Amino acid sequence: MKPLLEIEDLKVTFDTRHGAVTALDSVSLSVNAGETLGVVGESGCGKSITALSVMGLVPSPPGRVAGGAIRLLGEDLTKATDARMRALRGAEMAMIFQEPMTSLNPVFTIGAQIAEAIMLHQDIGADGAMKAAVELLDRVGIPSAKARARDYPHQLSGGMRQRVMIAMAVSCQPKLLIADEPTTALDVTVQAQIFDLLNEIQRDFGAAIMLITHDMGAIAEMADRVAVMYAGRVIETGTADNVLDNPRHPYTRGLIDCIPNIAKTEGELREIPGVVPPLHLLGAGCAFAARCDSADARCLREKPALRDHGAHPAACHAVEEGRI
Amino acid sequence: MTTQIAAPATPKAQSPAREAWSMFVRNRPALFGLVLLGAIIAATLYGTFIYDVDPFEIVWAPLERPGVTPEFPLGTDYLGRDIFAGLLIGGGPTLAVGAVAALITMLIGVGLGALAGYYGGWIDNLLMRVTEFFQVLPALLFAMVLVTLFSPSLWTIAIAIGVVSWPQTARLTRAEFLRVKELEYVLAARAIGARNGRIIWRLILPNAAPTLIVSGTLTVGVAILFEAGLSFLGLGDPNAISWGMMIGANRDYILVAWWPVTLPGVAIFLTVLAVSLVGDGLNDAFNPKLRQR
Repeated sequence: MKPLLEIEDLKVTFDTRHGAVTALDSVSLSVNAGETLGVVGESGCGKSITALSVMGLVPSPPGRVAGGAIRLLGEDLTKATDARMRALRGAEMAMIFQEPMTSLNPVFTIGAQIAEAIMLHQDIGADGAMKAAVELLDRVGIPSAKARARDYPHQLSGGMRQRVMIAMAVSCQPKLLIADEPTTALDVTVQAQIFDLLNEIQRDFGAAIMLITHDMGAIAEMADRVAVMYAGRVIETGTADNVLDNPRHPYTRGLIDCIPNIAKTEGELREIPGVVPPLHLLGAGCAFAARCDSADARCLREKPALRDHGAHPAACHAVEEGRI
Repeated sequence: MTTQIAAPATPKAQSPAREAWSMFVRNRPALFGLVLLGAIIAATLYGTFIYDVDPFEIVWAPLERPGVTPEFPLGTDYLGRDIFAGLLIGGGPTLAVGAVAALITMLIGVGLGALAGYYGGWIDNLLMRVTEFFQVLPALLFAMVLVTLFSPSLWTIAIAIGVVSWPQTARLTRAEFLRVKELEYVLAARAIGARNGRIIWRLILPNAAPTLIVSGTLTVGVAILFEAGLSFLGLGDPNAISWGMMIGANRDYILVAWWPVTLPGVAIFLTVLAVSLVGDGLNDAFNPKLRQR
């Protein structure tokens, strides 16, 4: 079966005062219909740019797709016209953003905003759209939806607003739902509720979810498959169980070690030393080499390719050579 | 034992316009401004039905003090024309020119500023160079040239004021658009497939509106003052009495008679004040964050 979304060798560059900087370097991903792909990595790894590239919302200029293809149901989105992209956004693919506090228009009621989203893609009247909006609000678990539909965004809590964003995103039953750190701005109990809601939505609407997060815990809870990104490249990919139980790349291991464990009472919280290098300073070698315990001369010289070394693909010389 | 928790009472649903109105009415200064503005407009529209004197006609001795002759309660000007009649009639052209000029200013300014701010790139560059060209021309001189070229009438005066006043509005609108278009809800709207026109109309413009409404009402005030200035310089419509024209005509006698100049001045002051108060009230009323739940 062909995947719903197929990203192949995607390269996205940004024109900066340091020259053209490569934000995404031959990223390949695929999302099958109805599954959840987790995309994980620290801030600045290219997760959000991947999502925005799929939606065609990379700010341009300075950003530009320099190569590769993004195929949604076989259609290459990098070659689609603006009008075609507008028709696809919302209808076939939708996105939920990180900041529910600022993702809604403050001057219109939430009901009106959802109704408007529906009317963009469906030919139903204002009354029909409003009724559908109230049903959607009810569906995403907003109590007394009919009254709440007349509320303004500032009258709702962060969790409620994220539910509204989800209602808006699924209003036209998109086949692909991109959730860009949907719970980062929310507190932990609300996070769990939002994840539950996303799972329900996926079951009921049959949408595939691309979940972008830096939280390995969220991956464990939500994802069927996972792609780990670092400095604009996919460095490990596989089924979620496989990657979590048997991480190959030192970076993935580091991320998993960073998950705080409430049962472990001794020892300090772990961290990966150092930061993601600025993209314009990437050298010839592995971008993770400077932070990696297993790095050797070859790692500094040569970029590792994403290759299958047994369990699932990882991009690491040390794994390839069997050193770790 | 199970306890039934009553659902929290939902606030009474009101349409946004009604909410804004109730917010506006609670705002004392704004309400005062609205009443004052209403009274001024009513006086200019209907005043002559009660007090029917031709303001152009010489009816009495010149420079009669206010309160001396009961027939002419506010006295007469240097030609012996009734000042009260002039104030009643003169408000019409003053307000009309102010409103039309502000409308033209907002149409050009908001239109060009929105295009420049939203689209950026060469459109922004081109429009901002044009704006700068108009901005560096001395406004009063430019307006005088326009009015003399096309012969003074209420329309040419209003258009001239509009044509010289829009650059500030354009810059302000552009700045607001630059700010709002980067906000996340604009990106979110794009992500559900909204087109540019809709984003400009439904997202950016309403969110920039508080600033633009205040700017618009200030523009009305400025336009009224501008019209007074042009009339004062003798470039008013010769066929219509306006407050500015009354000030201009009587200015030579200000040392012997204060009232023919001061009374229209007070009228202008009150009108501009009323417009500003209403503008301020509108700003508060349409800001949903200040609305009571």
